[in-house]
Parts: sequence; C-alpha cells; structure tokens
Amino acid sequence: MRQLLHQQWVCYRLQLRVLSTSLFDGLLAVFFPLMFATAALLVYRLNGDEESLQYAGLGAAIMGMWTCQGVIASSLLTRERWAGTLELLVAAPTSLTRVLVPITMALSTIGLYCVVATILWERWVFDLRLEVASWPLFVVGVLMAALSLALFGFFLSVTAVRYRTSWALGAALEYPGWLLCGFLIPVSSLPVWIQPLSWAIPTTWAMAGIREAANGGSPWVDLAVCAAVGCVYAALAAYLGQRLVDSARKHATLALT
Amino acid sequence: MNSDLAVEAVGLERSFVTHTGVLRRSRKEVEAVKGVSFHLERGELFGLLGPNGAGKTTTIKMLITLLLPTAGTARVLGYDVVDDVREVRRRIGYVFGGDRGLYERLSARDNLRYFSELYGVDPRRQKARIEELVELVGLTGREHERVEGFSRGMRQRLHIARGLLHDPDVLFLDEPSIGIDPVGARELRATIGSLVDVGKTVLLTTHYMFEADELCDRIAVIRSGEIVAEGTPQDLKRLVTAGRVLEIETYGVAPDAVAAATGVPGVQGVVVEERGQQQVLIVQFEAGAEVTQTVLASLGDVHVGRVSAREPTLEDAYIQLVTQDVPG
Amino acid sequence: MTSVRIFFIGGLMSYRAMFNWLSPWILIPSLVVSPICQILLFAYIGRSAGVGNDEFYVIGNALNYAAIPCLFAMGATIGGEREGHTLGIVLATPARRIPLFLGRALPVIANGWGVAMVGVLAGVLLLDVHIPGSAWPAILLAVVVASASCTGLGLAMGAVALRVRESAVLGNVVFCLLLVFCGVNVALDDLPAWMAAVGTWLPLTHGIEAARLLADGSGLGAVDGLLLREIGVGLIYTVVGLALLRFFEDESRRSASLDRN
Repeated sequence: MRQLLHQQWVCYRLQLRVLSTSLFDGLLAVFFPLMFATAALLVYRLNGDEESLQYAGLGAAIMGMWTCQGVIASSLLTRERWAGTLELLVAAPTSLTRVLVPITMALSTIGLYCVVATILWERWVFDLRLEVASWPLFVVGVLMAALSLALFGFFLSVTAVRYRTSWALGAALEYPGWLLCGFLIPVSSLPVWIQPLSWAIPTTWAMAGIREAANGGSPWVDLAVCAAVGCVYAALAAYLGQRLVDSARKHATLALT
Repeated sequence: MNSDLAVEAVGLERSFVTHTGVLRRSRKEVEAVKGVSFHLERGELFGLLGPNGAGKTTTIKMLITLLLPTAGTARVLGYDVVDDVREVRRRIGYVFGGDRGLYERLSARDNLRYFSELYGVDPRRQKARIEELVELVGLTGREHERVEGFSRGMRQRLHIARGLLHDPDVLFLDEPSIGIDPVGARELRATIGSLVDVGKTVLLTTHYMFEADELCDRIAVIRSGEIVAEGTPQDLKRLVTAGRVLEIETYGVAPDAVAAATGVPGVQGVVVEERGQQQVLIVQFEAGAEVTQTVLASLGDVHVGRVSAREPTLEDAYIQLVTQDVPG
Repeated sequence: MTSVRIFFIGGLMSYRAMFNWLSPWILIPSLVVSPICQILLFAYIGRSAGVGNDEFYVIGNALNYAAIPCLFAMGATIGGEREGHTLGIVLATPARRIPLFLGRALPVIANGWGVAMVGVLAGVLLLDVHIPGSAWPAILLAVVVASASCTGLGLAMGAVALRVRESAVLGNVVFCLLLVFCGVNVALDDLPAWMAAVGTWLPLTHGIEAARLLADGSGLGAVDGLLLREIGVGLIYTVVGLALLRFFEDESRRSASLDRN
C-alpha cells in the first residue's frame, strides 16, 4: 500500500511538471475559458440583477476546470502515442489504470489553479465578490468537482484514443460541456430531452453541490451522487482501458502515429 | 519447452489486417511474420538481422507482450508471452531506436524516476540505481537537463538506461543505433557489449552488419517474415564462402552485361551496388576458380575502374541472403 | 498574367498543401459542431440572463467563428511554411509577393464565409430566429466582407507567427479577443467605453453590426457605411501584414532569422 501511494505521488508530481512547462496547455487552458467567462459575465452584467450575476460568477469560476481536465484528458493518450511513450507505458508491468490516474490528477491540479485564477479575475475586473455561505463546503465541492472530473477524464482518455484525431474531438467537447453542466445556464432551461445527458456528467452534480454550498444549503446529497457517478466512469474506464490494451495486442494499434 | 532458455520462439506468426478507403473499404491481410522459430541461451547476445519491413520489430513486439501472435508460441525465461504477461514484463527491458519515447519536458533523471515507479523499483534503491545507470550510459553531469536539448546519441543512451532500470534479465534492443553518428554508435556498441559482461541476455535487431559482426554471438537473418539463415557470424560468412569475392567498379553498366557476368562459369552470384556515379559489381565465385579475366571480358566495352579480390564479409552473406530469390 | 495565375492557382494549391491532412474527422467537429455549440451556448446564456434575443447571438457568434478559419488557416498558410522549411524556397522564387500572399487569402475567405453561413443557418433551424428571405443576399455579402476583413488580420497574424512561432496560441488569443471586444455577445454601446473603442479597430465589429441590421430588415443602403468601415479595417491589417512580411524577408536576408528553428 505504501509503495502504491509512493508510486502514485511521484508519477503525479512528474506529470504535473510535464504539464506545467508547456506554454500551450498551461496558458491556453486557463486563458480560453477565462475569456468565455468574461464574455458571459458581460452579458449577465447587462440585466443589472446582482443575483443572476452571482449565479454566473459561480459557474464561470468552475467552468475552466472542464477545459483543463475534460478537454485535455481526451487527447491525453494520443499525446503519449505521439511522443512514442504509450507503448512503454503499456509495456510496463503496472496496470494502465495506475498509470493514468496520476496523470488525470495532475490535470485536476491545473483545473484548481484555473478556479482560483477566475475567482481573482472576477474580483479585479468585474468587481464581483462571490457570496459564499460556507467557504469550507465550497472548497469541498470544488475538490469533489476536480476529483470526479479526473475520473471522467480518465474515461474520456481511454475512449478517445481509438479516435485518431482526438485532439479535435477534445476541442469539440469544450462547448457541449459548458452548455450541459449548469455552469452558466440552468440545466432546467435546456430542452427536456437533453437534461438526462447533463445529469450523466458528474460535473453537473458537483456544480449543483457547489451552488448549494454557496447558498447555505447542504451540498452532501449532490456531492454523493457526483462521487457515485464519477466512480461508475472510473470503473468503466478501467474496464475499457484493459480492453484497449488487449485489443491493441490483437490488432497492433498502439504505435499508430 | 525448455525453461533454461532465455527466449524461445516456436513457429511465431503474425498477420495484420489493414483497411483502405473511406467509403468502399477494402480489407487486406498482410503476413508480417510467417512462422519464426529461434532461441536464446541465457547470457547470449543474439542478433536479428534483416531489411526494413522484414518483420524484426513485429517479432520483438510479440516477445515483449505488446502484440499477440496469430499462431505459434513464445516463452521468455520460461513464461508464456500470451498468458504470463506481468511475469514477462517484470523481467524484460525494451529499448527502441529513434528519438521518440521520452518525456521531452522532463530531465533525464525525471524520465528515469517516472519509469522506475512504473516498474516498481524499490523507492529506497531508486536514487542509487539511477545514478549507477546514468554513469553506465555516460550521461553523468547532464542528467538534470531536459531531454528536449539532447542529441540523438544521448537520447538513445538514456533509452538504454531506462530499459535497465528494473535490472531485467533479458533486454530487447530494436535498432538502437539508428541515426546515430559513428562516434556515438561506437560508444553505444561498447555499452551493449558491457551488458553481456554483467550477465544479461540481449536480443538486438539492426541492419548494420559490422555491428552485428562485432557484437553478436549468434545471428538470425530474417527476410519477408521468415528466418533464412541462423548461426554464428562465422557460420554465416561460410555460407557464401564456399568462395571469394571480386569487386569491380564500373561506370554505366547495363543489366545485360551483369547477366553476362553472372553466366561466367565459376561465378555464384553478382550483386550491383550503387556508389555515387559508380556501380560496383560484387561477384561471388568459387574458391580456386580464376574468373577475373573472363568476367571483365564478359562486360564488353563498359568503362571499368578499380578491380579487387577479397574475402567475403558478413555483409556479403547478408546481401546474398536477403536478395536471392525466394524458393517457391 | 503571371501574377494573376499566382494569385488564383498558387493560392489554391498552397491552401490545399497545408490542409490536405485535414480529414472530415477534424473538419466536422471543429468547423461545424463547435460553431453551432458556441451559438447555442450564448443564445442560452442570453435567454437565462434575459438579455437580447436569439438572432443577436446567432449572428454575432456565427461571424465570430468565421475567425477560426480566417485566423488559423491564414496564419498556417504563412507560418506553416516555416515549420515545413518551405519558406526559403518560396521566397527564393521571383513571384511578386502581393499576389503570392493575397492569393492564399482567397480560399481562406471562402472557408470563413462557409463556416459563418453554416452557423447562421443552424441558428435559424435550431433557435427562434426569423430572417426575411429578401435579407439573405445582403447578409451573404456582409459575411463575405467580414470574412475578408478578418483574413486581413489573419495575414498580419501569420506574419507575426513567422517570428514568434507559437502560432496556435496566438490564434486562440486573438480569437478570444475578438469574442470579447467585437460586440459578438454584447452590443458595442453596452460595452465599457474603452472596450468599444478597441472594438472599432478590430475586424468583424462593423460586419456583425451590419449583418444584424440586415437581418432586422434594413436595406443595403442603410449599412454601406458599416461595410466600408469593415473593409477599411481589414485593409489596414492586410497592409500591416504585407509590410511585416516584406520587413521580415529583408531582415532575413541580412541575418537568416527566418531559417532558424
């Protein structure tokens, strides 16, 4: 057990180092959602209602996580493949799950950074102070959002690696996530047939929990569902990951470039 | 099967299905490896030699558990490569040539740390082990630099260090010297040679003859997915040497002149090698036969440069093996 | 005549050379799905904020997304030369520079126009948008003007990308600036004054305003001033871009700055 934790910790730190030294991912993963949050806040500012501005500000703070984690995670294995390291990761006697979890956790860390950056940006640029009833519960909610997105990202990464151009897929996931997860638009305002899709993403539950925490309610039910949904994706991803490796051994698809 | 052997392959086959076209997909099956059998004794340095696309890498990938064979069996240190995946992976190292397969943005040391975690190297031993390997591959002093600034030779040596992290018993080196300058390649050969001295078993693929000649205890030549010859470098040279070799430099030799030279009694084979503007005819002939004058005469009025006779090299053997017509 | 051929044929060939690798698997997500999602995102934001109407967001975001091909494709046709090490070869030819680079802009403009029109059509089909039939020809024209003007900015960006190399990052940053400053989701009058002032010097701003007026039933005569200003802004960036290219080429002959990696 100690050895497993040590392994995961070292892998996490090294992967974080890989991510944080890239200008493209580091800067853009934060800048892009921040500009969209800005555009959305400019719209919300127009109606002059403090309450709806709070609503948007809270969602805008979290939406960057979707980009940093979900979007980048979907191209994660593809990037390993480009670098030629995917084969080496698979050839190691460690299971693919144990290799991928630290990587998605490293992405979560960038996501958390993005949350803090957006909260500060809202404060300085829009003079918008988020009113949060319970900061400790808010932080718990954000951490849960990060964790569940890491698991969801793990699922996306093993699914998308079969799709050769998964970087384009990743970019195409950005807007749907922003639409569906209740960051800036209440899920209830979406067409009814789309709403089940929203609730199938753990982040939607995390966002609902965070809003509860901000409004003084209890976030625990939402966060519990979020954790459960996240675990379902993790289990699914672990299974798909194993299938992926097995199928790659059969069909020789690992080293494709 | 004999579990004393380091590697044992019996009738390994592998075919690939490729699809082309988007709308009207046509399916094509390619046999990359067609029934390959060989074995490696423990502590042996074995070379797998062959032209590009002969099936060397496919064979290695089956042995390191990354690919499933379509037929045949293989064991590494007695463990089956299809079923005992984790046991095999724990005991082998894999190094491929080229400059990919490293985390560019991490230092050499961090790359090694990452993979020692994945290979479950005891955390207390890690630091010392990494220092030891950095020393072994001659990267001391550079280990804190990011890999993106490394030359090809340095990357390749780092790859070898990575492959040795968990002290594997068997090491698979897939064209490790590809694209490295002569000095770097010599250093690399020294490193590979030293692996055997410490008791490792090494399977090396390459298309550099002198490399195989210098390093390998035994060699198998693979061509179009089949092993066409196997033995010590001396054995392979003897295959051609029922005779000697005549090298004739020519300028603008025509195919029919080559055919005429091939027909000279005593000549076993003629291969044309392009060297800049020259074509060098490499004529193999029976020992004792005196063919020089007849061959030159058969070339007609082709402009001929230097003519020399020599003992056959491993390269002659190799070229003969991979270019002669496949029987059947 | 040579210049005309370089303009049309050379432009198209270099465009195809750069984008041959783009498969439908990349084109459809990035040039069809994404713009539609961006339109839906802001239309729903507008609805839940109770600000503006669907048509406002459809036109703004559809034209904004035209900037993706205009900036990235134009940037790549020039900046990509450096990565492919073909820039030196192209510059060694005696072809006149203006038709050479402007020819490359033509397919890009068509691409940007197509993306914007797909967005507008999707908005009409999926959202509560009604554009009178008689307004369409003028809207098509306004979108062409906006795409052309934005491609001018793409040319300037491509020239800068020759030097800074991170052209993908640059393209994303510029795209985001257009999103925030060009009145895409908030009318210029409702933006803070300094942002509106920046917006008037960017392409798309006037084109979007003109397209909105046209969709509301105005005639071409009512928006000709806006379209002229849109063209003017585009021309400024084009001239800046060509001047930068000329400057870098001259400087490169002195110091080999374009050949280095």
